[in-house]
Amino acid sequence: MNFIAAAIIMGCTVFGVGFGICFATTKAVDAASRQPEGAGKIQTLLLLGCALAESIGLYGFIVSLLLVNQ
Amino acid sequence: MPVIHIVIAAVGAVLIAATSVGFLLSRRKMEGGALTGRQRKRKKLWLIGLLISVWGTVGALITIFSGKKGRLAIEFEMFSPRVPVFGITLAKTTLIGCGVLVFLAVLLLLFRFTAVPRFSEEDPGGLQNAMEAAVDAVDRFVENTTSEMTVKGLSPYMISVALYIMGCAFSEMLGLRTPTSDLTFTLCLGLCTLALINIYGFKKGGVGGRIKNMGGPVPAMRVIMVPLKAVTDLAVPISLACRLFGNMLGGMLVMDLFKGVLGGYGAGLPAVAGIYFNLLHPMLQIYIFVSLSLTYIQEAME
Repeated sequence: MNFIAAAIIMGCTVFGVGFGICFATTKAVDAASRQPEGAGKIQTLLLLGCALAESIGLYGFIVSLLLVNQ
Repeated sequence: MPVIHIVIAAVGAVLIAATSVGFLLSRRKMEGGALTGRQRKRKKLWLIGLLISVWGTVGALITIFSGKKGRLAIEFEMFSPRVPVFGITLAKTTLIGCGVLVFLAVLLLLFRFTAVPRFSEEDPGGLQNAMEAAVDAVDRFVENTTSEMTVKGLSPYMISVALYIMGCAFSEMLGLRTPTSDLTFTLCLGLCTLALINIYGFKKGGVGGRIKNMGGPVPAMRVIMVPLKAVTDLAVPISLACRLFGNMLGGMLVMDLFKGVLGGYGAGLPAVAGIYFNLLHPMLQIYIFVSLSLTYIQEAME
């Protein structure tokens, strides 16, 4: 039962985080191609945003590891 | 079962001979003049074949002689095992973290007492220029992210945190467990950030300024907003800690998979994968940790 729960948790979080990072990168590429001179700043913001989105996925990862490891 | 490995080793040895002859022949043509694109491609193909056959042979030989078998299960503990030290039990990662700290301290003290006295203002050498450029870059980064007032206090702290996490990541290359893959270690770093947020928040505008910053512009709303903002601030160290911990634990698990699943055929692969998982990934995480901490501090100082 724990394994099923862990699998569901990982699936849902990875789905959401993938979409989140996808949206952020799409907009960043858009912005960087519109204003190439601001690419450095956009990249910094993109990295920060991706880290914030990624950490949500990591919460799911930690919870599923805890469930599997019981 | 071992027959397969012997066959692989024999075929691999023959392939090594063939591909090395081919590679040498394809190289010899080069001395006549510049290689055409097709010749260069052929040379690259021979080299790739040589590498793959060497890898297969070495893997098969290791499997034959050590009897190591790949398995699709990894053993790991979420929290590090504890060992008794002078009557108290300590987690292994704590000891490794202390070791890294001592190593870094000795290294930096040696640097301070051997290289730094030779620095001169009139005639800066290569090392001095490099150090000054590095310190300048960190100072500028801190100043751009927060404000001029914090540079003196925050930039040494941030650079030492970065060095410490980097040293911990290097300790994984020695086969130890990284201290950053322990939740208590990362939570300590997160609590340091929480302390710095409050210190700089109170330093900027005193108690009144901090309440104004936390509660928003409308005085009547502050009764509700200040406790809410305080809870939000308490989530900061947990979020920072879980992010660093999860990332490092994920990297460690992937490296364990590389070592465990392939058995003898994993020879040489962890060294290649380690370039990303032990070097570039911690650097990215350090950058994210430092810039997020600075962003939170800047938010408290507005």
